Amino acid sequence: MKKIEINPMTRLEGHGKIAIFLDDSGNVDEAFFQVVEFRGFEKFLVGMPIEEVPRTVSTICGVCRGVHFTAAMKASDGVYGVQPTRVARKLRELFFNAHYVEDHAVILYALGLPDFVVGPDAPAAERNVVGLINAVGAEIGREVLKKRGYAVKIFEMLGGKPNHPVAAIPGGWSKTLSELEREQIEEWAHELIDLSKLTLKVFGDVILSNPAYMELVTGDMYKVPVNYMGSVDENNMVALYDGTQKVVDVNGNDLYSYNGLEYIDYISERVLPWTYLKMPYQKKIGWKGIVDGDGTSLYSVGPLARFNVADGLSTPLANEEFKTFFNTFGTKPVHNIMGYHWARAIELLHCSENILKLARDPEITSDNARAPLGEVTGEGVGIIEAPRGTLIHHYNTDEKGIVTDANIVVATTHNKGPINLAVRKAAKHFIKDGNVDEGILNHVEMAFRPYDLCLGCATHAVKPGSSPVEINIYDSRNELTRSLKNF
Amino acid sequence: MKNKYLVCGIGNPMLKDDRAGIEVAERIERSGLQVDTEIIYGVGFEVNDKIMGYDDVIIIDAAKIGNPPGTITEASVDDIFSDHKLATSHAVTLGSTLKIGYELFPDEMPSCLRILLIEAEDYFEFTRDCSVPVNIAIAEVVRRVTDHFTALQENCC
Repeated sequence: MKKIEINPMTRLEGHGKIAIFLDDSGNVDEAFFQVVEFRGFEKFLVGMPIEEVPRTVSTICGVCRGVHFTAAMKASDGVYGVQPTRVARKLRELFFNAHYVEDHAVILYALGLPDFVVGPDAPAAERNVVGLINAVGAEIGREVLKKRGYAVKIFEMLGGKPNHPVAAIPGGWSKTLSELEREQIEEWAHELIDLSKLTLKVFGDVILSNPAYMELVTGDMYKVPVNYMGSVDENNMVALYDGTQKVVDVNGNDLYSYNGLEYIDYISERVLPWTYLKMPYQKKIGWKGIVDGDGTSLYSVGPLARFNVADGLSTPLANEEFKTFFNTFGTKPVHNIMGYHWARAIELLHCSENILKLARDPEITSDNARAPLGEVTGEGVGIIEAPRGTLIHHYNTDEKGIVTDANIVVATTHNKGPINLAVRKAAKHFIKDGNVDEGILNHVEMAFRPYDLCLGCATHAVKPGSSPVEINIYDSRNELTRSLKNF
Repeated sequence: MKNKYLVCGIGNPMLKDDRAGIEVAERIERSGLQVDTEIIYGVGFEVNDKIMGYDDVIIIDAAKIGNPPGTITEASVDDIFSDHKLATSHAVTLGSTLKIGYELFPDEMPSCLRILLIEAEDYFEFTRDCSVPVNIAIAEVVRRVTDHFTALQENCC
């Protein structure tokens, strides 16, 4: 049996690898996605006052700093038995939506679009964000980065400190808005809506109008039928900051709804011998293995999952795009994982509209942004829809609010099973008779990119001259016959 | 008014040697040197947001290049530019970020940019204390940064 490894996937910290096993005929026998994950962060939080936790967890990841901050803040509300005031909640949502725009824009332009704009078979040296800018032109590149910068400015204005948000307090938000700041945010919101429309136009022009790409978007090679989990509001619309967690099955039937601490009754984690990362599954269905289709207990989270569990988006322009999305696929739920990119682009518009709506809210400049604390309850769960999917922060504390136990479940952990299925399916489709070249391997990698993995990462990787990728090819006796490295 | 000079430390403040760049920026801030300082957790486009508009910038980051721990490597943008595919949005590299900045905003990016990389020994442990060799390197980088900007300021005056 031959073995092909893509190892590691560019990051030095929390790296992942794909192992593809070929049979004697050179066809794919099995494929696995593995990650090495940091597990020490939760222990690091033990002994910390809960009100300090949001500021600390924001350092888990330089990209996801706003989402861990928000989930931990919501958990701190629970620990202090307090609900934020209406104004505080709106300020939090404004901050969170700005973070979404910043994050989704980067994911789309750095990760999702290069495969299509530059082309899935283009040389790796061109198939990246620099190649994308070369392809679409510097003017568009400048526009995108400039407008994305407005979301960062809103994030920093609301966060209370450049780069590192500090405004979270249990039951409130310490950075209120002046009228001048509100006006500025309203002005920027229009720019963000323009950015979103531009992104959807690029997506439409490049992908939706290209029959070959639409074959990839709607074809079976990137189709992973599993259950879906996401948060919805009282009208069954997508809810990002707060909502009820809803699960639908492979056929779109409602399975469960739950809130907060109840997550432990619905989600269980299977420890597998070949990976450090536990594989979650729907507890009430029971572990059925790494399988898709009817009866599977695996589930996906993230933009596509959110679309599949909800009836729509609460903002008008994005909701029209939501309808177009499902009309194009002609089915619900959509199991085609390239739909993640499209759903992400539509959410970009949704969050931009949300920012405008919140900036125009007459209450947003009120100082009433802090509720009186209740008694320490000793436990708090914060669940949000992070850009990559459902994020759970769960803390136990002593009577003074000092953390005694912490559990963080990130989107990539939820998606572990579906990512394995996606990689296996793509590998089986594209690798035939032992033919493996860079273009084929990129088609396999395209199967995990829609999930935008967050590998319990630190903050960055820098390695002069290269992005470390290693491909090892083993013969049927498991002996290394070929090794491709770029570092 | 914005200073012309900036020291930018990149890293995770909670992750042992990964915090080396942050440590340098914090020490420079405390030293009273007449430069602005920025601390950034990641290497995405926010780096460009912070350095644009400055004349002379020094970026300090931890790295795993394969040198002995504590080794200080000075690199150019081209040295660290990775032109390979990106696996995740978390993998947008510092080199890619800076390259894009200079290609799209050449007039706003610093005319002088130095990148100092400190070889990490351990970036897996969650602690605010760097390893001994990295601590020694941090002191040396602080000295180099101070000398660089002091000389610039003296020449200006």
